[in-house]
Amino acid sequence: MNSLLLSRLFTQLAETNAFPLAVWETVYLTFASAAIAYLVGLPLGVILAVTDRGGLKPVLWLNKTLGIIVNIFRSIPFIILMVALIPVSRALLGTSIGNGAMIFMLVVAAAPYVSRMVESSLKEVDAGVVEAAKSMGASTIQIILKVYLPEAKPSLLVGAVISTVTILGYSAMAGTIAAGGLGALAVTQARPSNAQDVIWLCVLLIVIIVQLIQEGGMLLATRTDKRVRAKAGRSKRAKTEKP
Amino acid sequence: MIALKNLTKIYPSKTGETVALENVDLEIPDGSVFGVIGLSGAGKSTLVRCLNLLEKPTRGQVIIDGEDVTALSGKRLRALRRSVGMIFQSFNLLEQRTAAANVRFPLELGKIPREEAKRRVGELLSLVGLSEKADFYPSQLSGGQKQRVAIARALATEPKYLLCDEATSALDPATTESVLQLLKKINRELGVTIVVITHEMKVVESVCTHVAVLDQSRVAEAGKVEDIFSFPQSEIAKRLILPDLIRSVAGSGKGNQLRLVFHGDASDTPVISGLASECGVPANILFADTRRIDGKTFGHMVIELPENEAQIAAAKQYLTSKSVTFKEEI
Repeated sequence: MNSLLLSRLFTQLAETNAFPLAVWETVYLTFASAAIAYLVGLPLGVILAVTDRGGLKPVLWLNKTLGIIVNIFRSIPFIILMVALIPVSRALLGTSIGNGAMIFMLVVAAAPYVSRMVESSLKEVDAGVVEAAKSMGASTIQIILKVYLPEAKPSLLVGAVISTVTILGYSAMAGTIAAGGLGALAVTQARPSNAQDVIWLCVLLIVIIVQLIQEGGMLLATRTDKRVRAKAGRSKRAKTEKP
Repeated sequence: MIALKNLTKIYPSKTGETVALENVDLEIPDGSVFGVIGLSGAGKSTLVRCLNLLEKPTRGQVIIDGEDVTALSGKRLRALRRSVGMIFQSFNLLEQRTAAANVRFPLELGKIPREEAKRRVGELLSLVGLSEKADFYPSQLSGGQKQRVAIARALATEPKYLLCDEATSALDPATTESVLQLLKKINRELGVTIVVITHEMKVVESVCTHVAVLDQSRVAEAGKVEDIFSFPQSEIAKRLILPDLIRSVAGSGKGNQLRLVFHGDASDTPVISGLASECGVPANILFADTRRIDGKTFGHMVIELPENEAQIAAAKQYLTSKSVTFKEEI
């Protein structure tokens, strides 16, 4: 990319309203979908972790059934899932196009993924700590709310970052059903007119958004993790000692 | 009192069944510090987990204060667990909570009002000597400090019993000793009955009043520490209690060797010089391992007497008169 192209890019950015709107729509689609996906996926992940063999309350039939459903949804490519969900979206939301329908489809695709992320985070919690809570007379609900979720918080945050970035990737297909965002802008508006600069600017903006989510999320995860607090202090000192 | 009757725990395994405990009968008297010692795999950890039903016994009963708790479930089981505290080898603190918040944890579970909980946490942290570390996270504490937090946490619900599962096995000797002294203090001052699971003889020696020796899922023998220490009956107890050295020097089996046992009574009498000066029997010390515990002397000494029936008889008579316990069979 030469400087001429770059300068044209930024002129483009300044002159049109399309980019700020697309950025906003991408962010909105991604975070709204991620939030709703967690509303569904978090409880589902907890159930998967708790009902598994060796879990807090093993219920194997439930675990296996949910596991199979989750796997089926996870194995369908998103673009095919979108097509399949068109009638479902029409039935539930009254429409199969636009941002609302896109969020619905993103949630259906992401919730099973999120549930597996949550499940694996909870399984990292030290079994000894759970046993200690049991020995203090904690009920299953108390162990979930006061041990599993708080102890797994840093890992859950890392999982949320990965999930959100994945959802952002999926959201680029929004153009298929006439929803918005940077992906839609690049695919449905820029590509037909072969506006390479617009396409590249979309890519650049997506990269920046991903970076912000990734770095911000990881910072939050490390900041809130009380296990690494002491260590982080040391490594910071070590860094400043370097010439 | 905790009583175990015919307690059996069998784990299903791929190759059939693994018997972890077999017909265990034990009585843990109130106010005691009860040691359970055995080699690894003897069933110690399973035993202690049966006491608060973290493990469900396959057969038999766990009776706590006259109530058979084996069949408890739900709310009543959780209430029982609140009256039995437990600490672990790996401390098992909540890593994302401060020391104070860890101690507060069982109070939150029991829905104790905030103000009262705060006061209790303060008292408990000061009991274990960690008031200044209240706002530290486990990752900022040493092993000994973590175990102290765990002890404070286990005591938060004011339990009558405290179970310690290899609580000092991950600690260095000096820290081990200080944690053991803390347990002793809790036993003495709060009247908490303590069950100590360990593979280390030193732990039993240092704090326990009673001991059960576990071997291959069964209780080999059990009783007061001084009795078991002085006269171990079972092969496993002898192996655990008598140092290797005593077993290697002994065993000539000539009948002129005696094992003197000190359990706190005759320790101030100079018996060996008495033997020489009062009955003219020179004794050769082959082995001695005595230590002072709580101001009393405990331990063993193996002496060799002249191969002379009369002198051996005289020596035995003298030792009896000084109320020194001895065994001819080492």
